[in-house]
Amino acid sequence: MIAIDILQDAFFAAIAGIGFGAISDPPLRAFRYIALLAAAGHATRYCLMTFLGVDIATGSLAASLLIGMLSLWAGRRSRCPMTVLYIPALLPMVPGRFAYNMVFSQLMFLQSMDNPAERTMYMDMFFSNTMVTCSVIFMLAVGATLPMFIFPKQAYTITRDNKYRSSWKFFGKR
Amino acid sequence: MEQNNKSILEAGKFIEEYSSHMMGCGVHTSRVIRSSKRIGEALGYNVRISVFQKSIILALHDKESGESYNEVIDIPALPISFEHNSALSALSWEAYDKHLTVAELRERYEKIISSPKMNPLFVLLMVGLANASFCRLFGGDWLSMGIVFFSTLAGFYLKQQMTADKINHFITFITSSFVASLCASMSLIFDTTSEIALATSVLFLVPGVPLINGVIDVIEGHILSGFSRLVHAALLIVCIATGLSFTLMLVKNSLL
Repeated sequence: MIAIDILQDAFFAAIAGIGFGAISDPPLRAFRYIALLAAAGHATRYCLMTFLGVDIATGSLAASLLIGMLSLWAGRRSRCPMTVLYIPALLPMVPGRFAYNMVFSQLMFLQSMDNPAERTMYMDMFFSNTMVTCSVIFMLAVGATLPMFIFPKQAYTITRDNKYRSSWKFFGKR
Repeated sequence: MEQNNKSILEAGKFIEEYSSHMMGCGVHTSRVIRSSKRIGEALGYNVRISVFQKSIILALHDKESGESYNEVIDIPALPISFEHNSALSALSWEAYDKHLTVAELRERYEKIISSPKMNPLFVLLMVGLANASFCRLFGGDWLSMGIVFFSTLAGFYLKQQMTADKINHFITFITSSFVASLCASMSLIFDTTSEIALATSVLFLVPGVPLINGVIDVIEGHILSGFSRLVHAALLIVCIATGLSFTLMLVKNSLL
């Protein structure tokens, strides 16, 4: 049952990744890697949050790090820059419900100015949701981008024809 | 001498088009700079390039004859295209590795930028499916998924049409977010996870590319262009929120 839950999560994340990727006109060969990355990332976060009780920001950081690392490998296979693969893969992890609650509570705060109890409640709701939304989005961006700075040589020569690449070392100069 | 003069002009014209097209279609700054310098290097020129959010300052310098070429280029507002991003990056390596001439480079460049885009109807369908599965990820049920699918179709179709008519970006975002969420608020009639449907219906608008490119630019030290991207993304997010709050104003009594 747990396995089905995880697979289902991965499956829907993959569809979401492909669909959001399609908006930005990616090369056709990139689609399967985008799907793979999105599925792996979202399933990782799901597992971390459900079974290990990790909070959403840390879970997002771990998942986006994984996506970033995988995009280095997938980018080399499909000869696409890393950003082409990981931006659509990150989109299914955007914390939409928190973002929605942010807008909703701001609106309700403004509507209930003359009711102190409600006003405080919506204020509180607004701040906690804003905090979560902003930190998750920040973690997603940083986590996926980090591998690019850890392995700059690999990231910057990713679209080069393999024939001309002199070696494939993880650290040090080419 | 005359020959030389012509070639630096041709190379300069090509590199300016190349770099401004890349900036326009959503490539992060350091990649644009690296790729342009690489092409210049392959053709035998030193390239100095300075990138702002709306324009690029380019200087080519011939290492042997000492000639130079200077230009300020406007960055066109193009739709984001990952296809161009990958193909143009690969082109710069091809120029470097295979020592292509400017004419060959231009021919390949024209071929890349005139290649057909994905069918808009296919994209529309994909985005609908994507947003429906997004709804599922947040715990929505099948009915909400269906409603989100159709409201995304409506919102995204509107966005496509308004973008084709070159209507202001921000107005497009406000309108499509309003329409998508208004369609999704139909779920309030049924006994379903309507709040989730409302929340996910506008998420197809999230400007992921400028957000991530902005973060990359800032970290790599291109702080000006990074911040301009982030500010642009933030404005678009505010527009999405505005459109959504119009809907919430209309339906808030049934939400409480």
